[in-house]
This record gives sequence, structure tokens and C-alpha cells, in this order.
Amino acid sequence: MRYRFARASIATATLVASAQAADAHIVASRLGDFYTGALHPLTDLQDLILWAAMGVLAGSLGASRGRWLVLAFPLGLLAGLVLGRASGFVSAGPAADAGMILLLGLLLAAAVRIPTALLCAIAFGLAVMRGAANAGDLGPETNQLLYAAGLVCAGYAAITLTMAATLAFRRAEAGTSMAWRGIAIRAVGGWIAAIGIMMVGLALAS
Amino acid sequence: MSSRVFPRLAVALAALALTQPAFAHEQVGVAGGLASGLLHPLTGMDHLIAMVAVGIWGAQLGAPAIWVLPITFPVVMAFGGVLGVLRIALPVPEAVIALSALVLGAAVAMRLRLPFAAAAVVVAVFAVFHGHAHGAELPSSANPLAYGVGFVVATGLLHLCGIMIGTLTRWPVGGRLIQGLGVVIAALGCYFLAQSLGAVA
Repeated sequence: MRYRFARASIATATLVASAQAADAHIVASRLGDFYTGALHPLTDLQDLILWAAMGVLAGSLGASRGRWLVLAFPLGLLAGLVLGRASGFVSAGPAADAGMILLLGLLLAAAVRIPTALLCAIAFGLAVMRGAANAGDLGPETNQLLYAAGLVCAGYAAITLTMAATLAFRRAEAGTSMAWRGIAIRAVGGWIAAIGIMMVGLALAS
Repeated sequence: MSSRVFPRLAVALAALALTQPAFAHEQVGVAGGLASGLLHPLTGMDHLIAMVAVGIWGAQLGAPAIWVLPITFPVVMAFGGVLGVLRIALPVPEAVIALSALVLGAAVAMRLRLPFAAAAVVVAVFAVFHGHAHGAELPSSANPLAYGVGFVVATGLLHLCGIMIGTLTRWPVGGRLIQGLGVVIAALGCYFLAQSLGAVA
């Protein structure tokens, strides 16, 4: 026991002492723009909140309705990116983003049973909006194909994982004793709606 | 058992020590905004005890209050937040916030069983004032969105704390304990009320 602990301690000390900053070479090489596209939305709080809200909303409605988003959301991002690049239309303004946060939050908090077509339309519309917003930082030297591929992959992964996590969380809601899980998801909707209300207020005030 | 714990502990320590800061390129103020938003409801003692009291009272009242409260309170509070953002002044905000701690603490202490609608109105009025106080700080924050996220999450977690404490009412001793806690909250509310009216320095 003591011997193993000593060995583990030495290994730890060596690891800590040899800590170096990791120079991720790949980002600077040819495929770099793929990672730029994938990381761009994930470092933006606006995107994070909207994507997560969309995923939780779709997940709370069940797999049969939500699964269309696996396709609709990334395609919407691509459409938005292309649209933003072609027309120069980058953002509908902070009020539109805030209104979208509010809408998603209220739908989630009220536990509205949205029809599948409407859910897909909302998700596609949101994805077009955010795709266009992500086109704003495309430089002239950025490889647009790689950037678009990165963005679409990030959108696909984020929306699918969020929906799956929400579904898994709700599925355990078998008996009445687990009803708090449904309430917890609706409470998150209340939080998101509250953030949306304040952002709408701020956008209208400034 | 312990021989398995030590290597794992060592690996965990190494993982912690080897972390590098993540450099987010945009939205410089996110960390600052988030931190100030999270801390704002926690650093004001009057806010903190009132929010915990809301959760405890909701748990005491049972269904439907216990689940309507965490869903609707943030939304009502956000309306107050918008008033704060728009710089629409509310009458004597500090006194009303202190009063909210006093009233909610007393309700917990007396196990006051108001009809659901009446309890909702009482809580909603106080929610607007609490939201106003947080919202007034929002436009000047490093990142308003992050600040908003922070303070909504912190307030929600305080309610959760209150609801957790409130589940003690299932046991007779826990019920007494909670009533005692209500008395403490009400007494603190009295003190803050006196302070805001200038009676205490």
C-alpha cells in the first residue's frame, strides 16, 4: 500500500513539475478554420444560451418530435451562414436574440405541447439567425468551407447532446415520486424566460 | 480500499494542477459579468434571507406552491429587473426588501396558510422589488447578458436551498426547527427595516 502510494506521489510530482503549455499545432495548420468555425459559437454566451434552450425544449417534448432537429438545426445554421455571407445581413439586432431567448423560455416553462412542424420551424429559424450571426466574423482569408463544416458539426453535436441529456433526465420520470424532474426542466425554462425578459428590456432601453 | 483511493487522488490532483486557462477570444467581460451577477443576490444579506424564506414558505405550503414558485418567480422578478434597467424608480425599495424578509420570515414562523392566490400576490410584489434592485446594476455590468444569467441562477439556487430546508417539515422536529428559522429571518428583517428607515446606524 505504502509503496504504491509513494509511487503514485512520485508520478504526480513528476507530472506536475513537467507541466507545459500545450501548443496545439493543428489549429495553426490547414484544418484550423474548421476549429475556428466549431469554437466560434461555443465561446459566445448568446449562442450557448439559445442552443441549450432549443435543445432542452426539443428534448422535453420527447424523442419523436425532437429527432427532426438533428437535421433541421445544423442545416439551418448552414443556410444562415450562407445567407449572412451572401447578403451581408449579419444580425437582426440584440432585441431579436433576446426575444428568441424569451420565447424559448416561455414555451419551456409553460410546457406547451408544440406540434412537430412548428418546433422544426422555430429551430430552423433560430439556426438561420445564429448562422448569420456567426458569419459576421468570417475574415477574407478564412477557408469558408472548413469554417462552415466546423459550425455545422458543432451545431449538430450541441443540439443532439442537449436533447439526449434532457430525454435521459426525463425518462427516469417513471413514478410520481420523480415528477420533480419535469418541474426542474420547467423551472429552467422560467430562468431562461427571465433572462430573456431582462435582455429585451435592455435592448429596448439602449 | 484506501490503496485504490490514493492513486485516484493523485491522478485527480495532477489533473487539477495541469489545467491551463481557457482563453475565450470574445466577450471579454463574460467572467466578470457572470461573477458579479452570481454574487449580487448572495452578498446582500436582506436579499439572501428573503429568497431562502420564499423557498421555505413554498415548501411549507406544499403543492401547488412548491412547484409554481420556482417556475414563475424568476419571470416576475425579471419584470422588476426591467424596471430597474429602465431606471423607473420604485418607492422606498430598501425598506420594502427588508419588509419582505420580515413578512416572509413571519409567515414561515407562524406556518401561515394563505390561499394560494394570496400567497402568490404577496410573493410577486416582493419579487418585483428584488428584481428591481438587481436590474439597476445590469446596464453598467461588464457583460449584461452574463450578469443576467448569473443573478437569475443565483436567485434560483437560493430558492432551491429554501425548498430543501423546507422539506424538513415532513418530520415534527424539522417543522419546529423551520419555524425557529422563520423567527430568525423575521428578526433580521426587522433589523434591516429599522436600518433602512434610519433608526439604526
